[in-house]
Amino acid sequence: MIEKEVLIVNRAGMHTRPASQVVKLASKFKSEISLERDGFVINAKSIIGVMTLAAEQGAKLKLIIKGDDENQAMEELCKLFESGFGEDI
Amino acid sequence: MTLNNLSNNVHRRIINGIPSSPGLVLAKAILFQPDLEFTYKDQITADQIQDNLDRLDIALNDTISDLYTVLNKIGENKEEITQVIESHLMILKDDYFIDLIRNQIKSGTSVEKAIVDEFDKQSNLLLKSKDLLLKERAYELEQIKDRLLLSLRNKCILYEAAKDLIVVAKSLSPADVIKFHDAGAKGFITEVGGITSHSSILARNLAIPMIIGVIHALEFIKENNEIILDGYSGQIVINPDEVSIRKFNEKLKKEEDRLKIYGEIKDVKSETKDGKYIRLMANIDIAKDIDNAMIFGAEGIGLVRSEHLIITLNRIPTEEEQYQWYKSIVERAYPQPVTIRGFDIGTDKFSMGVHKHEKNPALGFRGIRYLLAEPIVFKSQIRAILRASVNRNLNFMLPMITCFEQILKAKELIYEVMDELCRNDISFDENLQIGVMIETPAAVMIAEKLAEVSEFFSIGTNDLTQYTLAVDRSNEFVSNLFDSFHPSVLLMIKKTAEAAFSKNIPVSVCGELAGHPAATKLLIGLGINQLSVSPPNLLDLKRRVLEIDYSEAKIFAEDLLKVTNCENIREKLSINK
Repeated sequence: MIEKEVLIVNRAGMHTRPASQVVKLASKFKSEISLERDGFVINAKSIIGVMTLAAEQGAKLKLIIKGDDENQAMEELCKLFESGFGEDI
Repeated sequence: MTLNNLSNNVHRRIINGIPSSPGLVLAKAILFQPDLEFTYKDQITADQIQDNLDRLDIALNDTISDLYTVLNKIGENKEEITQVIESHLMILKDDYFIDLIRNQIKSGTSVEKAIVDEFDKQSNLLLKSKDLLLKERAYELEQIKDRLLLSLRNKCILYEAAKDLIVVAKSLSPADVIKFHDAGAKGFITEVGGITSHSSILARNLAIPMIIGVIHALEFIKENNEIILDGYSGQIVINPDEVSIRKFNEKLKKEEDRLKIYGEIKDVKSETKDGKYIRLMANIDIAKDIDNAMIFGAEGIGLVRSEHLIITLNRIPTEEEQYQWYKSIVERAYPQPVTIRGFDIGTDKFSMGVHKHEKNPALGFRGIRYLLAEPIVFKSQIRAILRASVNRNLNFMLPMITCFEQILKAKELIYEVMDELCRNDISFDENLQIGVMIETPAAVMIAEKLAEVSEFFSIGTNDLTQYTLAVDRSNEFVSNLFDSFHPSVLLMIKKTAEAAFSKNIPVSVCGELAGHPAATKLLIGLGINQLSVSPPNLLDLKRRVLEIDYSEAKIFAEDLLKVTNCENIREKLSINK
């Protein structure tokens, strides 16, 4: 199992579109992928879960990944978060 | 007179709502009231479990294939709409979420109650959020829930019935909006819904007039009533008389003429021939100008002069008055960004109750100087700005900056107000973008330093020209010396743009120069990538942008800056004085 802190950098935060992007990407991997915010843990493959994180710009989340392809998943998901979901920063 | 005639002869009535998508339409009404009030049992027996699970799957498949149909109807280049529908599909295909419903059924809850329970649980989580956008998403969950419940009862909606009519509903889901549009509906009126909701955004995108927040619309408006819907003002005229219809036709004629001229290139992406994107925005003074700006294809409001409120009221507006005004602007422009500038008021424009007469107001007590000296006024403006910033499309700009410390002092006050709001549990955008108006030579000379503490720059070319050239344009003896194409002014713009790039912050030009036909190529060549002009200038500006080759414009600007003679510059730009 690996963990890493990620930051929401885009202006509008993790609203519908970014949330869909996270779910789409997470679903490509076999590993169990969770996101934690202030003790609240959700499944990153669930759109409802990701939306209810209500992560605004500046929010810090913990990515927790467990499974065979965890390293690859961590790398790609971190890249997506760092890019600000391709939106205005 | 027959009863039928009587009912057709009802009186004119005017009701109002919040305009959420511009446009004018006169048509008959159709009431859209899906029957959602029905009873169902909460508990089921063990032998009914499989049947309930099957019904859930059928309802899900139904709704999913329905949304795919909607998706296929969306034309190209409508990425925003596509994403909304895709996100709804993802919710319906969210195994982790649907499993929660399945598990409830397996433990003896009816499919109806399981759906209602689980959707409500998630909606409530979203509703608790301080984030207004997430609250809107909660309403969308409601709509998906309603759609599933309708499907469970084998009810379908006859969207085709709305052809050429205005749809009046309690609320409309994004899928409803698309389907009604597809069926030929002419306008939408809803009792609830936010201006930042996906449905409102869709209506704007599809250019169907829409008015939301019309209280008791379903009671006032009867099936088949003739209605005038004014998506600019939010006014609805039920059973309009001849006078109303005549006025409507006059207004419609004007709108059609305007759209004829500008319609074609409004949706063309604003980029140079070689593909450099230039963001074109509008400067506005009054909220209703936003509609014009959006019709002309503005991608945001580059400058709102907040002092307009002071000038209109002839006094300093209260926090609440400001809040309402800012809110109406940022909501109307959403999701496009809006830059509101702090009061920049000099004694030339306003003297009552502010400060005493000055000999030289342009060099006097104005902009940030006034704001920092009157913290009560400034803080009330900041509070209003922050309260209006919840949708995160508001930027705040500081006027007349000449010193680095002025930005720090202003930010200190902004953070103070943020703390107060936090303590009072009032929501705002914690990441409010704070930028600086570059309009004095002092600011240009220290622009690199200013860029360290600014999130964007906006160049006000009128004041920058006045201060650089020491020319008062309103003074007839020297006004002929006022020249924004003076090499010194152009160098100032270049230096500002370079400072912005070095710190990677956006830089726009929002002064008169931005809309000058001869300046477009030059400004783009200098590296300016955002231009903000008055709404009517937008389309001509876009036409020019489409004609420009960026790599050529860069060389052109470089060469031009080597010219030191004002006359020669004008010649090269073919400007006649």
